[in-house]
Amino acid sequence: MTSAALDLGPVWLTFRLATLTVLILLCLGLPLAWWLAGTRSRMKIPVEALTALPLVLPPTVLGFYLLVLLGANGVAGRFWSALTGHPLAFSFAGLVVASCLYSLPFVVQPLQAAFEGMDRRAIEASWTLGASRTRTFLSVVIPQIRRGLVTAVVLGFAHTLGEFGVVLMVGGNIAGKTQVVSVAIYEHVELLDFVSAGRLSAGLLGFSFLVLVLVYGVNRHWHAELRA
Amino acid sequence: MSGIDIQLGYRRSGFDLCLDLTLPEHGVTAILGPSGSGKTTLLRLIAGLERPACGHLRVGDRTWVDRGQGIFLTPQQRRVGMVFQDYALFAHMTVEDNVGYGLPRRERRQGVAEWLERLHLAPLVQRYPHQLSGGQRQRVALARALAREPDVLLLDEPFSAVDSYLRQRLRAQLLAVVAAFERPVLLVTHDVDEARHVADRVAVIVDGRLHCSGDAAAVFDHPHDLESARVLGWRNLLPVQALAQQRVSGPWGSVELTTEPAPDTAWLGIRPEHIRLRGRDEPGLPARVVRVTELGGLRELQCRLPDGTPLYLHRPWNEPLPAPGSHVHAELPPQHLRPLVEGVPATAPGGRAVAGPGAGAHVDQAHPAVRLECS
Repeated sequence: MTSAALDLGPVWLTFRLATLTVLILLCLGLPLAWWLAGTRSRMKIPVEALTALPLVLPPTVLGFYLLVLLGANGVAGRFWSALTGHPLAFSFAGLVVASCLYSLPFVVQPLQAAFEGMDRRAIEASWTLGASRTRTFLSVVIPQIRRGLVTAVVLGFAHTLGEFGVVLMVGGNIAGKTQVVSVAIYEHVELLDFVSAGRLSAGLLGFSFLVLVLVYGVNRHWHAELRA
Repeated sequence: MSGIDIQLGYRRSGFDLCLDLTLPEHGVTAILGPSGSGKTTLLRLIAGLERPACGHLRVGDRTWVDRGQGIFLTPQQRRVGMVFQDYALFAHMTVEDNVGYGLPRRERRQGVAEWLERLHLAPLVQRYPHQLSGGQRQRVALARALAREPDVLLLDEPFSAVDSYLRQRLRAQLLAVVAAFERPVLLVTHDVDEARHVADRVAVIVDGRLHCSGDAAAVFDHPHDLESARVLGWRNLLPVQALAQQRVSGPWGSVELTTEPAPDTAWLGIRPEHIRLRGRDEPGLPARVVRVTELGGLRELQCRLPDGTPLYLHRPWNEPLPAPGSHVHAELPPQHLRPLVEGVPATAPGGRAVAGPGAGAHVDQAHPAVRLECS
């Protein structure tokens, strides 16, 4: 293999993985964050701690448990293969599951903070003005939490782009199926193909920086708008 | 459309609300009470933001709540105009969008224009709430609530977020708007002056129980129990130890009443403006002047009776007053003395509370501790 032609396969795969992960995490994270922000239940603290675990666990530990769970003899693995006929470990679907767990805190925490800072009376005002729950969510809740929402989406996306350990443990390194950019970079380095590794790394670096600049820019703009 | 019929029980960790109250077709009813007495909860129950444990709520000929029949309309199904304590305006929407939020799309443009005009908000249409003054925000909240043509208007301490020097003017503005609104208005407040200024009727709630309700002037002048008297600004409260026909006495001395008080009379109340100052050789309770305070337009004389009971007198600002430390006699005119009982009486002669037009100028003081079939 020459280093001249850059293989875009891992880039495309990573992009698909991150997009799918963020979409799934929004569906799970919005209700979870809403509950965490409003509850007085005794379950709040354990659930919060559980959500934050991926922040502190070494990726290999998380990857190990996931492998056990998703593997051919694991509960989730057996369920999945009974359902689809395919194994979950070392597959793209397995990667998605792993990424969702790994990036969960990056989506839930900004959303929870946004919900906690929200004016809940505005929601009740909306109801008394005859607006349905759906309309209230779209026209009152979403605009109020938009900064948290953008932060959650971007951090969830960027963090999924950057994962390595969990992906390697759960997905391995199968080109076109589970080989994401970070794993591809690792392989290029192992094969002493520093040019390819450098290109991919520079791409990831540039992209991540751009995204963060964008988030801070947007948040600042909205902040200024509210305080004008 | 007739009035509102409220008979609701509500329970939430350690707090218990049990109310039985009827409101006339239109006019402002002030709900007075100390903080934590359940005033705001009453508004939230009417708006459908809280679920009652039992009872019913009828507005006009519609039933909004009937726990017995399993009826509970959501806030969206009711037509309430609610002005929240901090207004709860939508921070990300302009004045125009806030006011039009509750209107159907086709009526929005016209309805908004009309209400902006009526509340003098037209020059502010494109502003955001954070660009408005407290008074302007209040008007936007009011316009937003009224634009939907609600069956009842609920105002939760509408002046608490406004600087005190603006309150007088805003009260007058609110009165003008509310006068044109031909539906019942409930105004929650803990400010006696506000209630006096704005309300046609008054209901006093203490600890989740209705203590009295009725025509504002009558309620203010004829409280029936100690708790109501406190809430209504009766600053002079004298404990009663013994009754002998029309003579009432306590550690502070004794006075004569015009009629024989009820046997369970435990306190005497008198307003500061009704006490007369007399010389030491004239009749009255001996008192020592402690302090004179300027109240703008009048002066407050704080005295102490021999046993230490404080007595407050209000006198015109230009009247010569005795200096602090001097001894005077305070005359309590019998026609202004109110015998007061303690707590809500267990049985009532008049049955349930009626604050309707038929109640006239009398006060429905005696509320039986309303028993609803709460489980």
